[in-house]
Parts: sequence; C-alpha cells; structure tokens
Amino acid sequence: MEHHEHKADPTEISIWFFCGILVLAYGLVLLVTGLAEFHTPPPNEVLLPWLQPLHPTLWWGLLMTVLGGIYTVRFRPRRS
Amino acid sequence: MQAFIALFLVSHRMAVLAPADIVILALYFGLVVFIGFYAKGKANTSEDFFLAGREMTAWIAGLSFVSANLGSLELMGWAGASYQYGILAAHWYWIGAIPAMLFLGIVMMPFYYISKTHSVPGYLQLRFGEGARGLAAISFGVMTILMSGVNMYAMAVVMQTILGWNITFSIWVGAATVALYVMLGGLRSAIINEVLQFVLIWAGAAMVPILGLVEAGGWTKLKAQIAVNMGSGDYMHMWKTLGHFKDNPMGVHWTGIVFGLGFVISFGYWTTDFLVVQRVLSANNLRAAKMAPIIGSIFKMAVPLIVIVPGLLALAVLKNPDGTLMHLVPADIAKVTGQHSYDDVLPLMLIRYCGPGLLGLGITALVAGFMSGMAGNVSAFSTVWTYDIYGAFINKKASDKHYVAMGRWSTVIGMLVSIGTAYLVMNAASIMDYVQALFSFFVAPLFGTVILGMLWKRATHWGGFLGLLAGTMASVGMFLWVHTNAHALRYIAMSADAQPMAENLYRALWSWLICVGVTVVVSYMTKPVPIEQLGGLVYGATPIPDDGAKTLWQKPIFWAIVVIVVFFVLNLIFW
Repeated sequence: MEHHEHKADPTEISIWFFCGILVLAYGLVLLVTGLAEFHTPPPNEVLLPWLQPLHPTLWWGLLMTVLGGIYTVRFRPRRS
Repeated sequence: MQAFIALFLVSHRMAVLAPADIVILALYFGLVVFIGFYAKGKANTSEDFFLAGREMTAWIAGLSFVSANLGSLELMGWAGASYQYGILAAHWYWIGAIPAMLFLGIVMMPFYYISKTHSVPGYLQLRFGEGARGLAAISFGVMTILMSGVNMYAMAVVMQTILGWNITFSIWVGAATVALYVMLGGLRSAIINEVLQFVLIWAGAAMVPILGLVEAGGWTKLKAQIAVNMGSGDYMHMWKTLGHFKDNPMGVHWTGIVFGLGFVISFGYWTTDFLVVQRVLSANNLRAAKMAPIIGSIFKMAVPLIVIVPGLLALAVLKNPDGTLMHLVPADIAKVTGQHSYDDVLPLMLIRYCGPGLLGLGITALVAGFMSGMAGNVSAFSTVWTYDIYGAFINKKASDKHYVAMGRWSTVIGMLVSIGTAYLVMNAASIMDYVQALFSFFVAPLFGTVILGMLWKRATHWGGFLGLLAGTMASVGMFLWVHTNAHALRYIAMSADAQPMAENLYRALWSWLICVGVTVVVSYMTKPVPIEQLGGLVYGATPIPDDGAKTLWQKPIFWAIVVIVVFFVLNLIFW
C-alpha cells in the first residue's frame, strides 16, 4: 500500500490558535485579578500566610498571558 | 477569615465564585460552542463527521487520544484513590497505560489504519464477521450512553457540592453544550475541544501540586510528613509493598498489577476501546497514526503530577479549621457524617490554594474534563450506532448524506438517553458503581478477541464470536458471584487477604484467559479462514506498509523506546 496522506484545508483556523486565544484571555483575567489582589489578598492567602508573598494568581496569569500571546500570534489565521 | 472557614464547614457549598471566576467559565462555554459552529462547515461527509476527515496531525490526534480519557471522573476519582491508597494509584497511569499505548502505536495501529475501518467493531466485522461486530457494537453502544449519563450526573454532583448549583441545571447545561458542539461539528469539533480541554485541565490543575509542594517543603519532606500522619511509610512505594496482599493499603499483589492491570485491563482499554482508538483513526497518515499514541503516552506519564500528587499532598497538609488533621472518608460514610469524601480531595485542594480567578480556572478545568468525557462517549456512540448497528443491520444502502444526518440525530438522541441515565443514577446512586463495572465486562475479553484476530491467522469467525461471548459472560458471572458472596473474592484473587480492588484485576485476567482459551479451542474445531481473506487484517498475511519515516527522529519505534526507558526509570525512582 502506498504512503497516503490527507491534507488539511490551509485556510482553516489552527487548533493551536483556539488554545492560544483562550489561554491569553485567561491570562489577562488572572493578571488583572492578581494586580487587584496585590495589596488585598484573598481569604485563602490570609489563612495561609506563606501564600501571600508568592502572588500565585499574578504570576500564573503572567505566564499564561505570555504563552497564550505567543500561540495566538504564531497560529493566527492568515489568508493564503 | 470567617467566610473562608465557612467554606470548609458548609458541606453543600464549598466555594462561591467571584466575578473573575464567572468570566473564565463564561469564556470557556462561549468558545466551545463557537468551535461547534465553526467545525460544522467542515463536517459534510461521513468521513468528515465521524473521522474528522482523517486530517489530524500526530500531536493533535495524540492529545485528543489522551484527553478523551482524562475526564473529571478520572481526575477526581484517582486523586481520591491516591489519598486512600497512596502512590500505588499511579500504577493506573504508568504500567496501566504506557506499555499498552506504545503497543497500540507500534503493533496494532497499522492494522486498524490500513484496513480503513471506521471503528473497532468494524475491524471485528472484517476479521470475524457480523456476529462479533454486532455483539461488540451493541455492548459498546449501550455502555457509552450509560457512561455519558454517569459523567453527567457526576458533574452535576460536583457542581452542587462545590458551588451549590442545582443538579438539573448542571445536567441540562452540560448536556446541551456537548450535544450542540458534537452534533454540529462531529469528531472534528470533539477533537478541537478535547485539545483545548487538555490545555485547560493542566492550566487549572497545575497550581495544586506546585503550591502544595512549596507548602510541604519538597518531595522528601512530603514523604516524611505522610509517614508521620499515617503511621506508615507504605503510602509512598509503588512496588516495594506488593509482595503480599496485606502489605499495602490497596490489598493487591504484584501479579494482579502486572498481569491484570498492566496487561489485560490496560491493553484492553487502550487498544480496543473505540472511544480512544477513534481519535487515532483521525490521523492524517500512517506515521501520524503510529506516533499519536506515543505522544499521548508522554503526556499520560505526566498526569500523576496533577492527579496523584494532590491526593498525596492532602494526606500531609489538609487540616480542619481547628488545626487538626482532616480525615476524608468513603462516600457512603460522608453522606451520614457530613465529612468530606475521598473524591472531594481535588476540589478541597483547589480551594485551599486558589483564590478568585485561579479557582475559576480550576473549576473550569473540572467542567472541561466532564465535558470531554461526555463528548468522547457520545461521539464514539454516534459512530458505532451509525456504522455498526444502523448501517450494518437496519439500513445498509443509504447515501453518505443520510449517514451524516443519522450521526447528528444519534448524537442528540444519545445525549437525551444519557440524561435519562443521569436521572436514573440520581435516584439510585449505587447504579453508578454498577455501570462502571459493566464497562469493564467487555474490555478484557474484547482485547483477547482483537489480539488473536490480529496476530493469529488460524482464528476463525466462530472462534472469535464464541470466545468474546464466553469471556464477557465469565466476567459478568464472576462479578455477580463476588457481589452475592463476598467470600468468592478469595477464589478469584487466589488469596484470603485480597481487597475489593483486587477483584477488578483478577476478574479481567480470568475473563481474558477464558476468551482466549475458547477462541483457540473453537478455532481448531472450525474451518480456517482462507488466507486471501486475511490481507490487511492479520500479521503474516499482510505486508506492513512503509510509514514514510526517513530519519531516526521520525521513526515511531525510536520514540517508543525513549518512552519505555523513561517509564522504567520512573518506576525505579518511586520503587
């Protein structure tokens, strides 16, 4: 049997773009939330004081914004 | 502070969503529905609708393959199991998955792929005739619909427990969303969403092990703390305690883990369950089809980080508001005492470490997991119904357009039946355990039938059909035996010290052996299938086509060896 390959439509939106745009949107929401919480930590960080200086929402939001941004730009739909 | 303490005390609602959490959840629902409408324009033929046009790359098929299995029942159930049994639960991710996934990619995928079958029952029809196909298709169809309903109910219970949401609201919103995107875009829509859900599950769940290990002071201190809290070091060894049933918290023996789980259950699930195999069949060429399970296995090997580690962390750090160690209990006891059950581990840890925003992301990850479980079941059901029941026995000569319409209708009807199952489970919760056990009845013997069909030319149609029937009936018989007489377990697991978990492992092993034995005996008593009818279906009667790999880096076998080496190293590290 010969080697057979199905080609995807080059104009279709990449799955990675969908992932990128969602991760970017979530990253921005977390980033804004993390900044708002910088001086007023949420109840769980008050209860677990060691969490406060780590600012997990802010840093996770920043990481997701960067990764989501890279994927959004890299796999954005283009007209061929 | 009082509000946070209340999170732990009010058992019917653990948390309240902040605006940021609601935005995250709404964005997710909006995008999955958009993907359904987007994929609809590309689901015109049956190959498009049921196999995503066979256009998926190895990465996408591989992530979808592993994501379809990573439902929230799986996430929450195994996080709870790791709290209950310790690191032994990781066997279900490593020996219970990795060798089988590699075997699927390297040995079995060429046959599924070059036979151009649309489904696993379709392969059985080509190899063993209509009887074996009908038996496998009907049992699979019934089970996928029931499992979809169980998933739906489980999601509704979790949403009620964590957020206080009405069960009916959760069932209908979840079901309508999944039905909409699968009905519109078929497998392509399910796959895009599964990849998205996989990314989301990691993004939402990864903070728990990261922050948990920070709190515990690292892996070594975590092990020491668990040994202190539990009064035993047995919770942190994968193999050391498996020499005897009574030496480990799970009550199992290494033979059950290696042969029952590692061979029969794992190979049965990962190589013959159409829910996962369908994702690999969507690959755009043979090499991608071989690489997809190998790529999936790499991610599967990492899943214990977000499932097993949170359960272990809970053993060390989870405390009551008064500072005493929190003890989780089985679900039936939790209902009576108002304590949290084992399955609450993951939500409890999410609430512990995640404030607004991160909590929404974690909850969305759980919702995404449930929806991927439902979508996997319902898309596989619609394919098997349309090709292997409706197209094979009811209407054999309809147009391609008719079968696509049937696929869409069967998605909606399948989802409605699933909703009925969810309500049935709601009124008799014990049904949930039985439905999950039912699924296991078919997997082990089906693997016996498929593997003999692929590797043994002498296996005949009657051998395959009767072997599958005998194996399935033996499995059902053993289940009923143990559930009507608890002492029967000592005979099935061959030890008086065996615990319930051992039943699943040894029942699978025995039913596989019975299936194989009956298939071999009946095959020798019946007329062989002519060799010319076995082309493309059996080793030795089929020239294996070239997969197009030119360099070492492109060869699936090279990556399979890399994965298996990592697998052995991990087992040695956590021995």
